[in-house]
Amino acid sequence: MSQPREASKPSYTLNCRMAHEAAALERLCQVVRIRGFRISRMNMESAGGHLDIALTLEGSRPISMLQSQLEKLHTVASVDLELGDRVQSCSA
Amino acid sequence: MNGAQHILEAFHRHNISTVFGYPGGCIMPLYDALVDDVGVEHVLCRHEQACALAADGYARASGKLGVCIATSGPGATNLITGVANAHRDSIPMLVITGQVPSGLIGTDAFQETDVLGMALGIVKHSYLIDNADELPAILEEAMELAEGGRPGPVWIDIPKDILLTEVAQAATPTEQKPARAQTDITDALAMLRSAKKPLLYSGGGVSLAHAETAFREFAEASGMPGVVTLKGIGNAGKHNPNDLGMLGMHGSRAANKAVDECDLLFVVGARLDDRATGKLDGFAPNARMIHIDADAAEINKLRPADTALRGDLNSILEAFTKALKDAPLKIGDWQTLCKTWCTTGGFHTADNEEALAPITGPAFIRQMSRITPDDTIIACDVGQHQMWVAQHYHFDHPRHHLTSGGLGTMGFGMPAAIGAQFADRSSTVINVTGDGSFMMNAQELATIRRYNLPVKLIVLDNQCLGMVRQQQELFYNNRESQINLDDNPDFVAMARAFDIPALHIERTDQIRRGIETLLAYDGPMLLHVSISREENVWPIVKPGGSNKDMIDEPRRTNANKEQVA
Repeated sequence: MSQPREASKPSYTLNCRMAHEAAALERLCQVVRIRGFRISRMNMESAGGHLDIALTLEGSRPISMLQSQLEKLHTVASVDLELGDRVQSCSA
Repeated sequence: MNGAQHILEAFHRHNISTVFGYPGGCIMPLYDALVDDVGVEHVLCRHEQACALAADGYARASGKLGVCIATSGPGATNLITGVANAHRDSIPMLVITGQVPSGLIGTDAFQETDVLGMALGIVKHSYLIDNADELPAILEEAMELAEGGRPGPVWIDIPKDILLTEVAQAATPTEQKPARAQTDITDALAMLRSAKKPLLYSGGGVSLAHAETAFREFAEASGMPGVVTLKGIGNAGKHNPNDLGMLGMHGSRAANKAVDECDLLFVVGARLDDRATGKLDGFAPNARMIHIDADAAEINKLRPADTALRGDLNSILEAFTKALKDAPLKIGDWQTLCKTWCTTGGFHTADNEEALAPITGPAFIRQMSRITPDDTIIACDVGQHQMWVAQHYHFDHPRHHLTSGGLGTMGFGMPAAIGAQFADRSSTVINVTGDGSFMMNAQELATIRRYNLPVKLIVLDNQCLGMVRQQQELFYNNRESQINLDDNPDFVAMARAFDIPALHIERTDQIRRGIETLLAYDGPMLLHVSISREENVWPIVKPGGSNKDMIDEPRRTNANKEQVA
């Protein structure tokens, strides 16, 4: 018997820059999970002392709530939300 | 100087004189360094969880950084609850653990656990040191982080070999950055002035920001009726005529009524926790909101603010105070209405004057509030007694009320009282606990005895897990499940086994004498108080329900409906 399909949740792309330290990705992913979002795609590049991480996320909660929590992480330098062709930028 | 010695040197530099810990294999180099160090007092608790909770109590009572130390593996995992407790209540804490030597990490070595991974969700930040030369800078950064902005625990996991390695780099204390604040209060002030029924809603953020004085001056200048969260108890002081007490699940009917009726919520250092707000949809339905907090992530998190001010509470509140002193608010009618509600819907239940009547929790706490000195520090555990203290004890300062707010950690009280007594050797420190909570960290009686701490222990014993029993009675058709503790040990004999004198009372006419005996004794003492099993905490909001749907004590329901209509 097929399960009823969940209504699709809004999707967002966040671009994060953070220090390249132990457990950097785990720290980021832990916050994403506990704040109610699911990672549907992730791309990471290492350059110099930092990581650039592009996260495509799905979740029904306001993305601003996640953004402000990620900005609180000590090793996160910036979190930018892609809004179509615009970018809403915030530096921690 | 090796890594271990460098840690102690950093403690000295930051005036850290008391730490709480428990030794073991991988942290032994630090304990070896402690042998030669007379400037740091190491308090040996009997369980690592108690080390973390004692450091937490120390930090809450003093406003300083709490420090706890443990070894790898089980030492670190035992710290977890205490660190999570500090995290949820934003307590500044430095956690130091030993880790297996660098080369053994990831080999399932003896007493190895992935501390960095385990602790991610319960710390403000954490480090695993992989280069001894980075230790000095990381220590500095960790201490600054723990205390700066919205405080919290910072955990440094240090492999044993790093503790033994000579550290080349000299420490350079980081310069404390002054907290930023948005001090343009124009919009918020206009909103406040336009309100007819403004309500001051304050939480634990006031004392975390060391803004107690600024808050009181503001509360006085504004004259706003005020409600407090569990962690905000004491913010307004004992004698503020506009204080309506605690709101929320076990708040006063008056406080919840005021929230329901107000047209403006002026929120200071509070995060709109669900235990305080109840169902958000029904919370302050007619009010606009001004939200002032040190943490930007708290603003608009659960309820959008109409105006928000982020930053140092001191400077923001001072700006409001100045403006309000020049032109006070005109809210006399609203103040009068709230005072009426407070008279009829506050925490005022009549004491049973019958000498032989069994003791009730509220009656005991009210008597205690009348007898104890103003600077008494009360460390609670979690459960019914915790709510009775919050409701019926009149605190003059938020640092006098140590309570596990966010995590609700049974077993918090005794270690927190130990920490508080080390923070303030001259004040009376009382751990008010229940029979369930007492047994969660009862081994700390040995710590109290070892250091001869004059901590007073009051066990309100109803021979069950009272808060769970109460909710089973009210919300689960009275189907009691696993709450019976009528096989408790003899608490008086237990205390005496630790060489702590103890006495037992069970009748109303014994309350005063019992408390006075406790206070008069020059040393630790336990008072075992038998209370009724059936006593509930009233009023109560059903979990997930709206605050305006408070359930009152059945025999008082009709009277209250008439009085607070």
